[in-house]
Amino acid sequence: MIMRYRLNTTTASQSKESIWVALRRLVPLMAGEGRSIAIAFGAILVSSAATLTAPLIISHIVDRFITTGDYAGLLTWSGLLLCVFLVGLASGYTQTRTMGGVGRRILFNLRNAIFVKLQDLPVAFFNQNRSGDLISRINNDTDKLNQFFSQALMQFLGNAFLIVGAGILLVALDFRLGGAALVPAALVLIVTQLIGGWVKRASYKSLQSLGGLSGEVQESLANFKVIVAFNRLDYFRDKFARANTANYDASIRAGVASNLFIPLYGLASNLGQLVVLAYGIMLVSQGQLTVGLLIGFLLYVNSFYTPLRQLATIWASLQLALAGLDRISEVLALETDMAILDTTAVTGTALLAFENVSFHYPEGENVLHDVSFALERGKTYALIGPTGGGKSTTASLMARLYDPTGGTVQLDGRDIRSFTPQERTAKIGFILQEPFLFSGTVRDNIRYGNPAMASVDDAALSAQLDAAGLSDLLGHFRDGLDTTLTAGGDAMSLGQKQLVAFIRAALREPELLILDEATANIDTVTEQLLETILEHLPATTTKVVIAHRLNTIKDADEIFFINGGTVTPAGSMQNAIEMLMHGDMTS
Amino acid sequence: MARPRQASGSSLFGLLRPYWVWISGLVALTIASNALNLVGPQLISGAIDGIDKAGSNLTLFVVQFSTLAAGIFVLTYLQSIVQTLASERVARDLRTQLIARIAEQDFAYVQKVTASQLLTNLTSDVDAIKSFVSQAVSSIVSSLFLIIGASVLLLLIDWQLALAVLGVVPIIAGTFYFVLSRVRKLFRKSQEAIDWLNSVINESILGSSLIRLLNSQALEYDKFLAANTQAKTIGMSILRLFAAMIPIITFATNLATLTIVVFGGHLVISGTLTLGNFTAFNSYLSILIFPILIIGFMSNVVAQATASYDRITTVLNAAVPAATGSLVADIRGTIAVEKLTVQYQDRAVLDGVSFTANAGTRTAVIGPTAAGKTQLLYAITGLIVPQSGRVSYDGVALGEYDRQSLHQQVGLVFQDSATFNLTLRENIAFSNTVDDESLKKAIATAELDDFIAALPQGLDTVVSERGTSLSGGQKQRIMLARALALNPRVLLLDDFTARVDARTEAKILGNVRQNYPGITLISVTQKIAPVEDYDQIVLLMEGTMLASGTHAELMASSPEYMQIYASQQSTNDYALPA
Repeated sequence: MIMRYRLNTTTASQSKESIWVALRRLVPLMAGEGRSIAIAFGAILVSSAATLTAPLIISHIVDRFITTGDYAGLLTWSGLLLCVFLVGLASGYTQTRTMGGVGRRILFNLRNAIFVKLQDLPVAFFNQNRSGDLISRINNDTDKLNQFFSQALMQFLGNAFLIVGAGILLVALDFRLGGAALVPAALVLIVTQLIGGWVKRASYKSLQSLGGLSGEVQESLANFKVIVAFNRLDYFRDKFARANTANYDASIRAGVASNLFIPLYGLASNLGQLVVLAYGIMLVSQGQLTVGLLIGFLLYVNSFYTPLRQLATIWASLQLALAGLDRISEVLALETDMAILDTTAVTGTALLAFENVSFHYPEGENVLHDVSFALERGKTYALIGPTGGGKSTTASLMARLYDPTGGTVQLDGRDIRSFTPQERTAKIGFILQEPFLFSGTVRDNIRYGNPAMASVDDAALSAQLDAAGLSDLLGHFRDGLDTTLTAGGDAMSLGQKQLVAFIRAALREPELLILDEATANIDTVTEQLLETILEHLPATTTKVVIAHRLNTIKDADEIFFINGGTVTPAGSMQNAIEMLMHGDMTS
Repeated sequence: MARPRQASGSSLFGLLRPYWVWISGLVALTIASNALNLVGPQLISGAIDGIDKAGSNLTLFVVQFSTLAAGIFVLTYLQSIVQTLASERVARDLRTQLIARIAEQDFAYVQKVTASQLLTNLTSDVDAIKSFVSQAVSSIVSSLFLIIGASVLLLLIDWQLALAVLGVVPIIAGTFYFVLSRVRKLFRKSQEAIDWLNSVINESILGSSLIRLLNSQALEYDKFLAANTQAKTIGMSILRLFAAMIPIITFATNLATLTIVVFGGHLVISGTLTLGNFTAFNSYLSILIFPILIIGFMSNVVAQATASYDRITTVLNAAVPAATGSLVADIRGTIAVEKLTVQYQDRAVLDGVSFTANAGTRTAVIGPTAAGKTQLLYAITGLIVPQSGRVSYDGVALGEYDRQSLHQQVGLVFQDSATFNLTLRENIAFSNTVDDESLKKAIATAELDDFIAALPQGLDTVVSERGTSLSGGQKQRIMLARALALNPRVLLLDDFTARVDARTEAKILGNVRQNYPGITLISVTQKIAPVEDYDQIVLLMEGTMLASGTHAELMASSPEYMQIYASQQSTNDYALPA
């Protein structure tokens, strides 16, 4: 069975879960934060209490002392007010500091979790998702969460407390007046519910169109030489103009939708004040309420609506963060289907054997069908066949980049799936068709991922390279081992990259070395040098060579012809050429 | 909180000049809605002061306040819509300008500046300017308006109390200045940490196969952990500053409230201030403090937008290559390369290369890895501009030609495959001058007929980046068909045969001779056997031309050529007829 790793990129199936369900996903990442969270919550309570007590004291001062002219009482109670403000200062700092720290650490853990998951997923995951999409998804979404954690989360929690606290006080102080003050808030929340879907869809579309825009730019700029050489700057401009206009339209629509919230909550705030004043003045004139209490009430209405208005301003960033969390969770929910099996019985003596192996890519036809063959130690095998015939796929199965969809691959007589990654990768060296280099120096890249070379100093590394005859290849690099690679890697030719990949693999001295068109862009003189180096590998090294150039396969002990789902031993070089010349080359 | 204006050439505010109608509308709406906001406390204070009097004016108050609330709602919403329209317009136009400028540049410029940086200019930098227009412009205007308005009203109500209250403003301004000047440095560092983080993620995605083959996941995780820890550390430092800033500013505001209670209370008791005005003072205070906070935060937005605009103007002001010539002519196809020198930084990748390829002849370029072969083809097509020397077609310098008409006649097949997310038809007939007949001929020549026939959607199959398992050889043949579809007079092949099997290669080269008679061919290649009968073979090594001539001449005169030849001799028995 082939696992589907393709991530959802359509608008249709956004999760409909509430904010709280989404936030609950973060719970496992909060392990060990219990104490900090308790402190932060304590601080939030104290600071909200301080914020809410102040108006109470002020209205008391107005009623008791100002209206009665008691200046001494006013001073005493003002001292109390100052103490409350100081408590607010201390608890405010503690709250922001601890909660912010918690947020930062959650983000840190979340990023680590994503990265570990990425490292855990097999190659199929990366092939089923466009690399550009994946990079943008992971970079942008963590960034949105970053913004949420660093700013909005604290505001969100703090404001939520203030709203609840102020709401309770309003009702507690005066049931009728408080209830009346909350009516506009209730109305505005209902409206929010009603138009929420519309706003979310509009925002989502605008994000998508932005993704489309950067996709266009990325593709066109990466292929700029083709656009220039084929006179298609008009194509570049047109395609961009279309994406730019689409983004403009979508952004305007999103802006018109999401900008409704701030004025709406402002309106609610004003209506709240109006209701309190009109109703309050009526109550005062009936003698059921004091003026001081009314002034205090007005302040509470502000304490209630100001955080609500602030929630409206961070609402958009909260929605974005939740959408980002959704998409990250989608990656986190994937599980690799390439488990390590328990050690199985040893059968056979071949280094590597295919037993009735079939393979197809998801939604594809069989690339290999019921294929069996064995590779003996110390021999050289060549895989030939027309382009698209399945040579690279066969090689990938040998290194367990994929698992077969049927049959088994045996390494050292055991199911290759029963090896730990360490054991397996120590035995197998693979030079890929598309060489990949990390930013850094040639030395860094040669050392990369080689446990034996990790602790070796530069001199010892050079000695190793000399011993393996690899030093001669370094002349192809301007500064030898110290030649640096930039991120784009444009300064280095394809041939040079292939050389680095070759040195990296040869230095590991694997038992099985697979070269997948590994020297296609290297000149034949250098290639001869590579052959010499290969000959000097230990006699037990098994080599598998995929190449179009006949000279690179001339020394093979056996040649396999791969096409149409079958792997056929060619017997002799001459026969192999016959098969190549007359085989069906375009299937 | 005025920040020193950046002294750079084109100012951020200059950018807004073409949008003055929008911006003035925005400013007018902002001022209007804020003016209405200032009326609110006046109405409230009037209502409270009127409590002792007859209750008849309550209805009037309700009507007035409702009208006010509705007015504020309409004006703020209008303001936000104008804001969105203005900022999106600025962003759209800026992007269009950038693209127009990039489209004027040559390939060398994009290569030097890198596609990823231009992408950042077009996305994050434009976004920073968008937030400047959408947030900063109206916020700063309305904040200044509110600060001045509230201060004036406070002073009008009671100047002594007002002065006492305004005393907290310097405390707030000082705190902001202290924190933000430090935070800005940390923001830059934090951005660097994020870039680092992203580059580790990018490499781990692009190199995913290699990482799995080497089992180096732990190594990648260590890299990532280092970057992530750095990001966390900087984040914590920023947090420490902000955690102190907000409570201090809140406390300063509270001190002002305390001043109103103590001093204002005293004034009420002594009868110089009404209770209504006392309440109004509190209301105006909250109106006054918020804009000060806003201006503090906006100074950051302005700083970021200024940095982004500087980067954007660098792209907009970058010199474009001298206008190409205007000569539109059907070329015969004689190419002369004279003393061509191309340098990257201080290193010459081509050094005084000269040769001539006559119309209708075939030339092979052979040389070791990193000899400068690809750069030679780029210089011949004008993709890169040489530091010295010249390239001419039919004796006329490359620069004299109208670039479009020349590119119509010179087909280049790149070494690396570059496909667009388009259908096969659009990928092959990429130049828009291709007719159906040329398309068919190109596909047949590149031996793609069977491959396309086997696809369920044929030519209408969309080619994507990965996934649709195109093999290396298939991609390369699509690239060839794209060049041939131009019906070119000159065909340049860059290591075309590296990923195509011998039989297909032989057939394709035969097809080219047959279907495109008289074409001038320059082919960069590794294999001598297929090019032995070419009219000329050019031997490049480390940027210099070691020799040129026919196969026989080079065999007689060039030891390096003989060495390459010898390296391929052992398989001569199997060499295929060209």
